[in-house]
Amino acid sequence: MFPVLDAVLERARRQGAVDVEVFGERSTSRRIKVFRQEVEQLTAARRRGVGLRVFRDGAVGHAYTSDLSEDALDDLVRRALDNVAVSDADEYMALPRPQGEPADVRPYDSRLAAATDAQRIAVALEVEAAALAADRRVKLVEDTLYADGDGEVFIVSTAGVRRSYRAGQCYAFAYVLAEEGGQVETGYSYGVGRALEDLDPRAVGAEAAGRAARLLGARKCPSMRAPVILDPFVSAAFFGVLSSALTADAVQKGRSLFAGREGERVAGDLLELVDDGTLPDGPDSAPFDGEGVPSARTPLIAGGVLQGFLHDTYTARKAGLASTGNGMRGGYSGLPRVSPSNLVVAGPTTPLDEIVAGVEKGVLVTDAVGIHSGANPVSGEFSVGISGILIEDGEFTTPVREVTLAGDIVGMLTGVRALGDDARWVPAGSIHTPSVVIDGMTVGGT
Amino acid sequence: MDVESFDTALLRTTIGRALRRGGDFAEVFVEDRESLGLRLEDGRIEQTSGGRESGAAVRLLAGERTYYAYSDAVDEAGLTAAADAVAAAVSSGADGVSIVDLGAVFSAPEKHPVLTPPAEVGAADKAALVRAGDEAARSVSGEIVQAVIGYGDTRQRVLIANSLGDLVYDDRTRTRFTAQVVARRGDVIQTGHEAVGGSAGLELVDEEGARGVARTAADKARTMLDSRPAPVGAMPVVLGNGFGGTLFHEACGHGLEADAVAKGASIYAGKMGAVVAAPIVSAYDEGSITNGWGSQAFDDEGVPTQKTLVIEEGRLAGYLYDRLRAREAGAAPTGNGRRQSYRHIPIPRMTTTYIAPGRSTPEEIIAATRRGFYAKSLAGGQVEPASGNFVFGVAEGYLIEDGKITAPLRGATLVGNGIDILMKIDMIAGDFEVKTGICGKDGQGVPVGTGQATLRIAEMTVGGTG
Repeated sequence: MFPVLDAVLERARRQGAVDVEVFGERSTSRRIKVFRQEVEQLTAARRRGVGLRVFRDGAVGHAYTSDLSEDALDDLVRRALDNVAVSDADEYMALPRPQGEPADVRPYDSRLAAATDAQRIAVALEVEAAALAADRRVKLVEDTLYADGDGEVFIVSTAGVRRSYRAGQCYAFAYVLAEEGGQVETGYSYGVGRALEDLDPRAVGAEAAGRAARLLGARKCPSMRAPVILDPFVSAAFFGVLSSALTADAVQKGRSLFAGREGERVAGDLLELVDDGTLPDGPDSAPFDGEGVPSARTPLIAGGVLQGFLHDTYTARKAGLASTGNGMRGGYSGLPRVSPSNLVVAGPTTPLDEIVAGVEKGVLVTDAVGIHSGANPVSGEFSVGISGILIEDGEFTTPVREVTLAGDIVGMLTGVRALGDDARWVPAGSIHTPSVVIDGMTVGGT
Repeated sequence: MDVESFDTALLRTTIGRALRRGGDFAEVFVEDRESLGLRLEDGRIEQTSGGRESGAAVRLLAGERTYYAYSDAVDEAGLTAAADAVAAAVSSGADGVSIVDLGAVFSAPEKHPVLTPPAEVGAADKAALVRAGDEAARSVSGEIVQAVIGYGDTRQRVLIANSLGDLVYDDRTRTRFTAQVVARRGDVIQTGHEAVGGSAGLELVDEEGARGVARTAADKARTMLDSRPAPVGAMPVVLGNGFGGTLFHEACGHGLEADAVAKGASIYAGKMGAVVAAPIVSAYDEGSITNGWGSQAFDDEGVPTQKTLVIEEGRLAGYLYDRLRAREAGAAPTGNGRRQSYRHIPIPRMTTTYIAPGRSTPEEIIAATRRGFYAKSLAGGQVEPASGNFVFGVAEGYLIEDGKITAPLRGATLVGNGIDILMKIDMIAGDFEVKTGICGKDGQGVPVGTGQATLRIAEMTVGGTG
């Protein structure tokens, strides 16, 4: 797409723009849903488009188009110039300069492009079949999905940035309903990879079924203050919400509870939290971000102490630092915004069964509903609905549901006392985390 | 590209091409969308972004199977490639479906009149709205530390043609103004949110209106600074009008969507005519409210939108259908087949869904509650349609003591089950109001209205930190 991007750059220059960046994207994707061993939906897609940022005296205007005709490119430049005239200036807003070599990561496996629709359908069918076979109480697999995307990203600018890469990803997902005695419980699981061969369809189906079935018979439990174990899916959801408070954007705009706390203890001393866009197996790894800045490994919390924040070019200039390569774009129609690449929760681990054996009374949380609405990333307070398994005298006893888990994020982080030995990738948010054990949580039941 | 005068011969050829190897229904969806968005934060307009996206999708149905292909190239080559992609995927049912010739273009521009088309107003005037909002929010109190003010407009033109011979053109303008305000006192930080939006133009919001929206959001944030942690436990809950309707949308509405029903994944499956709510509860989905945010003249399958009774005096009375699910169930489509864009398969979606107003007043309801929780505004929530279990965050909540609203409470969530709470509604007021939202399902966001009058749920679990 470089010729199209160069043409846009040239048009913008002719209209008097000096600092210009053009971002291009083209991709193909497949999305397949199966239901009761039949294909329910198959979507084949081609997508392409261009986004343009024009910087002038600290203001930025953005425009985008999916139409790459001559007229549409003229219209694109006109819109960007109109928009830069309306935006307010900020001394730190400027065209990103070239900053180092792209990270040495190749998020693409050519086997993905060789896959046929028949092979993709087979993956989805196997996921569903495995879920149905896993437990007799599985009533149905409401959603079984296979999806992939194969795309290229291009970026050029008048500052001399000229880069591209290709990325591919595929995933499988199942959402299962189990029923017994009129009670319905749900469970889900994912698998993610760069090619179909990386997926284990049976494991995805069986795990989703198991997670639903183990909650059957769940009821409310008494309210208590107790340790809880967040399983990797639930932990990932919490760290996903938390991560927005670890962006410099949130800090600089007074929306982060971590503002001004670098160097302070904010978590249990064994906790490490790292953003790493360079991991070979990271779902969201890439050589550079949406501004052409190399991806990096950025420690956020080490030994329980807050290390720093994620930056794009703008927030870094404002803080007098270098961008951490976290200016992420959702696509050609979006502006870069500071967000994590891959988040990794790490630290010394303990076998999970050993952890459970040491809990006198507590809850293993396997599902949390309302984290995105029930958690306030500004104040850090949260109250969410949970399902899980009660732990009594070191053993799993009865499943629980319709209970709440409440607290505040810093209190929760400082309560982190142990990490399980079951770390894995959770594709939603691209987070690698084990089960996390937290002391002194408020569980609201009967 | 001019959508309205798009080459209908090419549409018909594409439909025929899609059906040539099988399938029993084919459709072409052509879309052209122009958008502008402004975002102010930290007192400055930091993002002004706009653009144009156009594309076309071909959909082929074969029994219960859906094959879908789209392209950003809206020309003969793009449509041919999409038609070939769906035809290649279909493997059965090649019974030579007869394709009805496309008639004249059907449209209904009078349904949601646009008085001031956003394209005719300069970006500078729209910028003035968000600046007025920022100023108004900050003037409410010295404790207001941040305001995020947003303005957005879109004009989406779609042309929908199918093998039944339908040819529908719909020109949709939507405008929205939002304010999110942060207040701080010492270590306590609270946020307030308010928005106004509709299927209308800039007549929806002027500078005074913008100030009002921002002040409301700022008042909410400041009020919540005085809050104390909400208590935990079961108690009567009074849900406020407007935003309170989010609860019905999430906890019940999704279960009425015919895809969840058809899969047996809804608690409402097989319950037509059964008692699912208290007798004082009637509810509707209404995609035809004039200029409503969740409204449009036609859904994204070219079916006219309508007012659908879903609960009649406590009994289940209707589901929300798209064409596919209506066909399966032998029912008529209800104008609920919606898609985010040509990149998305249409599925059953709500439009504006609400519990009908009742005969009480909000004052009577509060006065009749000795001790309870008043959830004036909800922050959003999640629900499992299969079980009906839900959790909602409360954006603005208060304690009710001796029939009076007293202390503001923070950090509360409402936890329960859809059918259970509908059964426990025992008072409904008449102060009906609709608020705007974006509803997500299957990775697609569509504009929806949620609304209701103030109502009371006799008992519900409140999860708090106090």
